[in-house]
Amino acid sequence: MTSTTETAAVATQPRRSRLLGTEVILIAISVIAFVVLTVTTGGNLLQPGTIRAILQYLAVPLVIGLSQMVVLAVGQMNLSVGVLTGLSSVVAAGLMVDSGLSPWIAVPAALLVGAGVGLANGVLVVLTRINGFIVTLATMTIIAGLRYGVNGTGTYEGYSPGLVKLGRASVLGLPVVFLIALVVAIAVALYFRNTFSGRRLLASGGNPVAARLSGISNDRSLVVAHTISGLLAGIAGVLVLMLSGSVNASIGDDLLLPSFAAPIIGGVVLAGGVVSVLGTCLAAFVVRLVDVAQAQYNINPRWVDLVVGGVVLGAVLLSHGREGKDDS
Amino acid sequence: MRLRAQGLVKMFPGVRALDGVNLDLRPGTVHALLGENGAGKSTLIKVLTGVHRPDAGVVEVSEDDATWAPVTFGKPQDATAAGIGVVHQERNLVPRFSVAENIALQSMPRRHGVVDKSAMRALASRCLQQLDLHLDLNRPVAELSVAQMQLVEVAKALATDSRVLLLDEPTSTLTSQEADRLYAVVRRLRDDGACVVLVTHKLDEVFAIADTVTVLRDGRSVAEGRALSELSRSDVIDLMVGRSFADLQPDPTPPKDRSGIAALELAHVSTSVGHEDVSLTVHPGEIVGLYGLVGAGRSELARALLGLDDITSGSVLIRGQEARIRSVADALHRYGMGYVSENRKEEGVFLEQPVTRNVAVTVWRRLSAWGMVRDRSESVLLDTYVDRLGIRISGHKQLAGQLSGGNQQKISLAKWLAADCSILVIDEPTVGIDVRTKASFHTLIAELAAKGLAILLITSDLPEMVTLADRILVMHDRQLAGEVDNVAHDYAASSRQVVRYMHAEHVA
Repeated sequence: MTSTTETAAVATQPRRSRLLGTEVILIAISVIAFVVLTVTTGGNLLQPGTIRAILQYLAVPLVIGLSQMVVLAVGQMNLSVGVLTGLSSVVAAGLMVDSGLSPWIAVPAALLVGAGVGLANGVLVVLTRINGFIVTLATMTIIAGLRYGVNGTGTYEGYSPGLVKLGRASVLGLPVVFLIALVVAIAVALYFRNTFSGRRLLASGGNPVAARLSGISNDRSLVVAHTISGLLAGIAGVLVLMLSGSVNASIGDDLLLPSFAAPIIGGVVLAGGVVSVLGTCLAAFVVRLVDVAQAQYNINPRWVDLVVGGVVLGAVLLSHGREGKDDS
Repeated sequence: MRLRAQGLVKMFPGVRALDGVNLDLRPGTVHALLGENGAGKSTLIKVLTGVHRPDAGVVEVSEDDATWAPVTFGKPQDATAAGIGVVHQERNLVPRFSVAENIALQSMPRRHGVVDKSAMRALASRCLQQLDLHLDLNRPVAELSVAQMQLVEVAKALATDSRVLLLDEPTSTLTSQEADRLYAVVRRLRDDGACVVLVTHKLDEVFAIADTVTVLRDGRSVAEGRALSELSRSDVIDLMVGRSFADLQPDPTPPKDRSGIAALELAHVSTSVGHEDVSLTVHPGEIVGLYGLVGAGRSELARALLGLDDITSGSVLIRGQEARIRSVADALHRYGMGYVSENRKEEGVFLEQPVTRNVAVTVWRRLSAWGMVRDRSESVLLDTYVDRLGIRISGHKQLAGQLSGGNQQKISLAKWLAADCSILVIDEPTVGIDVRTKASFHTLIAELAAKGLAILLITSDLPEMVTLADRILVMHDRQLAGEVDNVAHDYAASSRQVVRYMHAEHVA
């Protein structure tokens, strides 16, 4: 009716409206890439063993991407996710091998280590008022060292055959580890969609001032986000244990880039307030396909990092370009 | 250089900030630019300094009053190059840079790609000399007093050869001696042939120093370059507040019952942000207005009341009980007090969240069971307010950022109504909202009061204040300067009294 209100509506283009677009694009890319890979490798990709391997090794990047996404939701970053995954798995392995404890204790311990360090990150960020990037840069360095404190450069092997067997098992043709990651993803999605706490996180991340003026404690949101992020890193640590059968202190070093790649390519807004679990999962899958292509074509693995790094930069540039139009 | 503007129009979504402004700035004069809050002064300054492009109208310059050359500014640098300098209300200096570096910042002399330090110092010292100022060129600006920084800003504008100099509220942070010193500088510049445009609220300064005046009201120039010698102080006030009173004469409301316990009472409240001895009461059903200049400390008082700043002495009583409010959550959950914030985009709504969540944010706790909030319950809640407040949305999933300003503001109000607040602090409810929505907002606020809510209304829009408030408290420099009984809603009488209180210290 009133034309003036209409023009006001056009003036602001919320970033979230294009999330759906990002997800559709990612589905298209996934399908095309998969088909191209299948055709060029002469159908090799459709072998049950190959599919299983693709999904098995998708589990950890997926969970670690979600771990990063949760802190991005409140406008923070967590540089310690990768090494925390390593620490959790080394601690659990140590408990089983050195202390002879059952996985029923070691696995919860790994989750506890993850959540505990996450909580510490959150509390440090809130108490010191130092940017989470800096705080987790420091804790990342500390944790990287702690990993070696557990067992030096040695390797833990032969822990809990049951756990490792489970890690290689499949249900209905789908690897158990992948199913675990899927359950985690659904839980995170439900958390942001339906819980009081998840909504508070998005409110704090999207507009901290408005959140505070609506009676939400941003400090609490920061602590909760970091704790959940740590817990997810702990889960990733357990998945590593299940997948590999032997772990050492170097685990997690190569997880930092994938942890950012998945949510950023998936359309999660770095400034906070907008998450996409589906986008993050799809992006993790696309990145996984790059890995598969490397293996299938026998390319130098370094090219993979180059491609993933380039795609991350492209995704950020693309989202920046679209945002930039508003304030020109 | 003489600069004139004709028929300037600048539209923002929902408002015409400038609606036909004419301006004529002659060399060798001090020109006052006056107008109430929201009259369009800031927008006009932004147009003249290349921050905004006008939607219509021309700006022209002339050296000889005979040939006029139109100028268009695509960016602030263009205005600087054309000889227009501005000293903004807020500081624009680099604290760690020296006085010389700051003065020469926009016109840094270079030789072979590196800064020519001796030329830079020569430039800075020439500018300071022009102002008859003696400052150590090497001193970091951070070590200077506020008044000295102000003068460095003026020197900085001179460094770009400004011949039209805009000073926006230059004395608001200065003592009267410091202000005198600044005005000595202004006179000097005028005598050198510059045109100094003074934007200020202090009428006695205007009469002391300015030669001509342009008054803006509702985005139009109602006095264009008139000689101040022909005008009296009350002429100027009338020009600033005058309106066609006919369309602004709401019915008188019956006096509110103020015999019971006040819903909100402030007793001798001082705050960490400078308020001293502020006392006020708001009774259920009453709309108490808090009027004052931008920067008088009204929003700051509201924020202190909500626990965002500290109350250092005095007490806050809610329904007769002493209240200790440490956060908005406290205010909301323990005392039923809500704050509809001034700046809805930055403080009021979550642009990237659906409207349902924006309305339910204050009551998620109530809506949740086992930590889960059902979308259904949010939608039901939203529907209530869509009807009651006439919010126009396309669906429950629509994002708040896609709504018009008026609808965003309604969403921002709805979240406090949803929380069953009995006391509402409403801060600048209709800034940037079109006229029709504004009127519906006014009806809404009056209805809320009629239902028994106690409302503390902060607005810089004088007609809005006179339309809505039962009593108007005038805040000046973080203290209450006076109270106007506004039950009659008589615009002419109330507005004159309000403006007199605002300039109280200057009126004999």
